[in-house]
Amino acid sequence: MTTLIDNRPVSIDPLSLVEPDRVHRSVYTDAAVFDLEMDRIWHRTWIYVGHESQVKEPGQYYATVIGRQPVIMTRHTDGKVYVIHNRCAHKGALLVGDREGKVKELRCCYHGWRFAMDGSLLGIPLEDGYDDTRFDRNGPEANVPQVARMDSYRGFVFASLNPDVPELKSWLGGVASSIDNMVDRAPEGELEVAGGVMRYEHDCNWKFFIENLNDMMHPMVTHQSSSLTARVVAKKELPADEAVPSAIEIIAPFTESYSFFDDMGVHAFEYGHGFSGGKTSIHAKYSNIPEYNERMEKAYGKKRFEEIMTVNRHNTIFYPSATIKGAIQTMRVVRPVAVDKTIIESWTFRLKGAPDELLKRSILYCNLINSSANLVGPDDQEAYRRQQVGLLSEGGDWVTMHRDFGKDEEIAPGHLFARGSSDISFRNQYRAWRRYMCGEA
Amino acid sequence: MADALQLHHRVSQFLFHEARLLDERRWDEWNALFTTDGDYWAPATPEQPEPENHVSLIYENDLLRKVRIARFASPNAPSLQPFPRTVHLLSNVMVDAHDSASGEVIATSRFLMIEYRRDKQRFYAGAYRHELASETDGYRIRQKRVDLVNCDGAHESSAIWF
Repeated sequence: MTTLIDNRPVSIDPLSLVEPDRVHRSVYTDAAVFDLEMDRIWHRTWIYVGHESQVKEPGQYYATVIGRQPVIMTRHTDGKVYVIHNRCAHKGALLVGDREGKVKELRCCYHGWRFAMDGSLLGIPLEDGYDDTRFDRNGPEANVPQVARMDSYRGFVFASLNPDVPELKSWLGGVASSIDNMVDRAPEGELEVAGGVMRYEHDCNWKFFIENLNDMMHPMVTHQSSSLTARVVAKKELPADEAVPSAIEIIAPFTESYSFFDDMGVHAFEYGHGFSGGKTSIHAKYSNIPEYNERMEKAYGKKRFEEIMTVNRHNTIFYPSATIKGAIQTMRVVRPVAVDKTIIESWTFRLKGAPDELLKRSILYCNLINSSANLVGPDDQEAYRRQQVGLLSEGGDWVTMHRDFGKDEEIAPGHLFARGSSDISFRNQYRAWRRYMCGEA
Repeated sequence: MADALQLHHRVSQFLFHEARLLDERRWDEWNALFTTDGDYWAPATPEQPEPENHVSLIYENDLLRKVRIARFASPNAPSLQPFPRTVHLLSNVMVDAHDSASGEVIATSRFLMIEYRRDKQRFYAGAYRHELASETDGYRIRQKRVDLVNCDGAHESSAIWF
């Protein structure tokens, strides 16, 4: 069957690829499905762009992509953050070539058209050449367009190429509270990006990464060689009376028991969002940093401080483009490149007003778990790669999501809960995927 | 001049030996080249001033290197099946500083690591900076710093020390 969707001939029917409890292998392997995902998901919903602290001063910019489209997050002279297309209004060249920087204005490298940080045209060389033509120097086509929608939630900037999206806050729904908890962990109630970014190229489909985040049945299997080994080596090498080093505190919980991960639980919300953990997670047993506790108590009072620290979530997913770990102040951002290639960016945040040890721990976590050269991430990536190749096999067309099917507990309208070992997170993501792909969301 | 040549030769031989141990998977011998508080550091950004306030591709002390080595022997490390093979090529060795009293040396060099795994060959290139302590039986590494030319680029998985 060939139908015309978005003026693009496609021979796929997204409805036929997802059932409530299983998903067809071609969602991971078919380049035509990937193309449609770009159009229907990545170019239609809210995508994480960056954090406001990356563009603190007027003239600062950060260049990235929304799906396949190059965009720039900027700070304008009016003090506001904008997200504009990275495309000169003249002949379409990228306006900035670096990933980040600071400029007085955006000047195209080709014919010198100049734009303000909000995209409005400042000047064209020999401008009178356009007199008496159809080109209107004061019309909208002379400016670099801003993307259709842009909003931020507590410093996290999302944008959409589609004007018809719900308000950001309502789209975030139940996972906005994970951002709240991450930000509330700062004595000054604000975060800033710090410690650089690590970019990890995955030779697999983007969905393997996002699905793995709340896959609680994999850590104790996939991470045996790093996490169990770290426990054994640390026990052998370190004196029994010595405090466990932070590195071991970070790696060891990846091989907690099935019951530990089961007890963490998984929450699922509208639009494919969700989080695992809640009261506890693999980040719950890190050593106290007394000075941090003092500063937090001073800032919030004992009761509120304890409330904030009681929330300990594992991964929170802002489907499809980002995931945070509030308890350790890290974020990973998903940038799909092709059906079998994805770049994952890892960011770390400083809790404003907290001692330096907090950022150092976030960085240590990122080095140990998220780096392309560490001992944990590559085993995940290898598992995704094996799926990417294994699913080319015609030995089976369907991928199962049956675990605990029909047992989700409805906590509130649009808020489901299940034990950690449930496939709830996958089913929830594909429910959203199906709606997006059919143009319903 | 003769002393300088001899020093350069001694340092170069040490660096070549270190690279060879990596290629020959003589991990314990390789780690024994470090002082007990020596570290291995591959920054994730050019001219990174220090390892604690910015992410790094690898920043490992003795304990973490031992974890990595023990993991190499694990039957449950999917990303090591098949196990990668490497060639570390080293050149442009310069002795940048030498303390004649203590024997301590700072040496810089350039390297190329070719890694082969499952039908794919990858290239890593960059600069090494070795801080060496002089002990009775030879040099020990206080710090090996590896600045990949594309340290801030997007990297695929890698398992072996550059």
